[in-house]
Amino acid sequence: MAKANIRNNIRRLRFDRSEMTQQELAEKIGVTRQTVIAIEGDKYSPSLEVAFRIARVFGVPLEEVFQYDAPDSQVA
Amino acid sequence: MDMSYQEWSIMGSLAAMLVVYGYYFAAVLRHDGQLEFALGRLIFAVIAIVVIEIVYHIVLALETHPEPKDERDVVIEAKAYRNAYFAYSTGAFLVISAVIAAGLARVAITPFLVVNLVLLFMVLAEVVKLVTQLLYYRKGF
Repeated sequence: MAKANIRNNIRRLRFDRSEMTQQELAEKIGVTRQTVIAIEGDKYSPSLEVAFRIARVFGVPLEEVFQYDAPDSQVA
Repeated sequence: MDMSYQEWSIMGSLAAMLVVYGYYFAAVLRHDGQLEFALGRLIFAVIAIVVIEIVYHIVLALETHPEPKDERDVVIEAKAYRNAYFAYSTGAFLVISAVIAAGLARVAITPFLVVNLVLLFMVLAEVVKLVTQLLYYRKGF
């Protein structure tokens, strides 16, 4: 099972926003706390819609929340 | 272990399946060929599963915080159904092959055996689904 090459800064963004809890973030974006834990731990890549909701909660562009490390073979 | 409502729900369903159908197959193996006995035990097993699931989920709802499925739950369930489909297809293929082989070899294969083999692969497919879900919840993807 290939791991996704997507990293995220959700943990840092949560702490920058008055230490928002995972439960609070989960409620704001409409998923369970377990899913937020999985996203933070790079164990689950969310849908585009949830990714945008996360970015909107923190008031930052999507690229500040998620970064994609393309394998060398896929770099144009 | 920090488990979600969905994981507890799956664990309960898995335990119920293993215990009830474990009992069923152990009972019918001791009464080989008795289709009526198997039918009675099967009806008992289905009712037992339904009752256990209802009681377990009522207790689970009282003890934990029930959460509706989100997109990750749905994706995990879809992946689990894929594996379950593969398991059941394999089982169906094996049963069909066994029936054809028995016919060619002119060996009697009883309805009792066919029914229980099909049921066994249905149960195995469900177990594959539930175990797959638990693995994906723990390991991620």
